[in-house]
Amino acid sequence: MSELVAIFFGMALVNNMVLSKFLGLCPFFGVSKKLSSAFSMGIAVLLVMLVASAVTWPLFHYLLVPYGFEFMRTVIFILVIASLVQIIEMTIKRTNMTLYNALGIYLPLITTNCAVLGITFINIDAQYSFIQALTAALGAGAGFTLVLLIMSGIRERLDLADIPRVFRGAPIAFLVAGLLGMAFLAFGGMVR
Amino acid sequence: MSTTVIAVILLSAVGLIAGIAIFIANRILPREDESLQKANDVKEFLPGADCGACGYPGCFAYAQAVAKSVKVLEESPCRILAKDEEGTAQLGDYLGIDLSSTGPGSKALVHCTGDSPTIGSYDGIASCAAAVMVGAGEKECPYACVGYGDCVSVCPANAIVIDPEKRVAQVDWEKCIGCGMCVTACPRGLISLVPAETPQYLGCNYLSKKDVAERKKCSVGCLHCQMCVRASESGEVVWSDERDLPEFSTTPAPDAIEKCPRKIILKTPAYPEATVMAARAAEDASDVTSSG
Repeated sequence: MSELVAIFFGMALVNNMVLSKFLGLCPFFGVSKKLSSAFSMGIAVLLVMLVASAVTWPLFHYLLVPYGFEFMRTVIFILVIASLVQIIEMTIKRTNMTLYNALGIYLPLITTNCAVLGITFINIDAQYSFIQALTAALGAGAGFTLVLLIMSGIRERLDLADIPRVFRGAPIAFLVAGLLGMAFLAFGGMVR
Repeated sequence: MSTTVIAVILLSAVGLIAGIAIFIANRILPREDESLQKANDVKEFLPGADCGACGYPGCFAYAQAVAKSVKVLEESPCRILAKDEEGTAQLGDYLGIDLSSTGPGSKALVHCTGDSPTIGSYDGIASCAAAVMVGAGEKECPYACVGYGDCVSVCPANAIVIDPEKRVAQVDWEKCIGCGMCVTACPRGLISLVPAETPQYLGCNYLSKKDVAERKKCSVGCLHCQMCVRASESGEVVWSDERDLPEFSTTPAPDAIEKCPRKIILKTPAYPEATVMAARAAEDASDVTSSG
C-alpha cells in the first residue's frame, strides 16, 4: 500500500509530467488561460491516462511480449489510444450533453497527446504491475491537473497585472512556467 | 514467416479491430443532440487547427460559442479566419450577418469636433480614462473628447493624432486598418467603426434624450432637431430611437449636411464630392428645362 502511495505522489509531484518530464506542454500553454477550462482539461487528461493505461498494459504484456513484438509498442499504442478516445468522446457526446460540454470538447485535443502516450511507456519501462500502472496514471493525471490549475490561476491574475508591454501574453507565461518548474524541482528530495 | 510480415499483419489486425469497435459504437449509440448541428456547421468554416489562440479549447468549442452568440466573433476573433476574407464572408452568409464591419474594410470615426469650451484644468495622470474617473475632464461637455490620447497609444497603425488646439482625436483614414482597438480604449465611447465607404458622420455623441440644459454646453452639439432626417427625402438619414441620434447609410446625404443647423454632419474622406456635384448640376438642369 505504501508503495502505491509513493508511486502516486512520485508521479504527481516529483516526476511531474509537465514540469519535470516536459510532456504535454501544448495543453499546458494552450488551455491554461481560464481556470474553469484548465480544470476540465486536467480531468479529461486524467481520465484518458487511466483508460489508456488500463488498455495498453494488458495489450503489451499479453499480446506483444509473448510474440516478441515489443518494438511495435509505439505504433500500436497510438492506434489503440486514438480509437479508444474516439469511442469515449462519441459516447459522452451522444448520451450526456452537460458532461460533454464540461469534458468532451477537450477529448479530441488529447487523443495523441504525448503526456498520455508517455505515461503508458513509463508504466512499462518501470515494470509496474497492473495496479501500480493504474496508480501511476492516476498520479500523473492528478499532477497534470494540479500544474494546469496553478498555471491558469497565475495567468488569470497576470491579466490584471501591470506587465511591461514586451512581456505581455506568451513571454510572461513562459517565464512563469520556468519559475514553476524550478519550484517543482524542490519536490525532488521528497520521494526517491 | 518473417517478422516484418507478422508485424504488418498485427498492426492491421489491431487497426481493423479498433475500426470495427468505432463502427459498432457509432451504430449502437443514440443520435446527436440537435443543438450541436449549428455548431457543427459553424465548425466547417473554421480552420480546424485547434490552436486555442481564440481562448477556447479547440475549434469545436469556439464554434459552439459562436453558434450560441455571434458576438464571440468580435470579442475573441479567430486570427486565422480573420486573414481569410473569403472564408469570413462565407461564415457571414451562413450566419446571416455582415461580418465585413470589422477588419480592413472598416475605418474608425471620432464623434466629436472638440469645440466645447474648457472650464477647468487637470493635473493628474495624462490618460483619458483617469481624467474621466476624476471628473468630466477639462471640457464643459460631458460627451466631449478628453484629448489625452488613450486611443493614440493603443493604435497599432499610428493613425490617430490629437489636434493640439481643439484637443480632439482625429483619425487618418489612409493609415487606419479598422482593428477597433481605439473603440474599446475610449472611455467615453466616442469612436465607432464604420464601413470604409461611409461618406458622412455626425461629429457629436450626445446621446441623452431631451436634456435641454446640457445641450447648451457645446456650440456644436447635436440639437436632436431631426432636421437631417427631414432634409433627406430618399431616406439616407434615419433617426435611431435607441441612441437618440441620426444614423447614416453609405449613400451621400448632401442635403442633410447643408441643412444641419449646427453644421456637425461631417464629410469623410470617402465622400464622393465630384459625383454629388454632378448629380446636383443634372438636377438643376432638369429643373430649368421642366419649368421653362
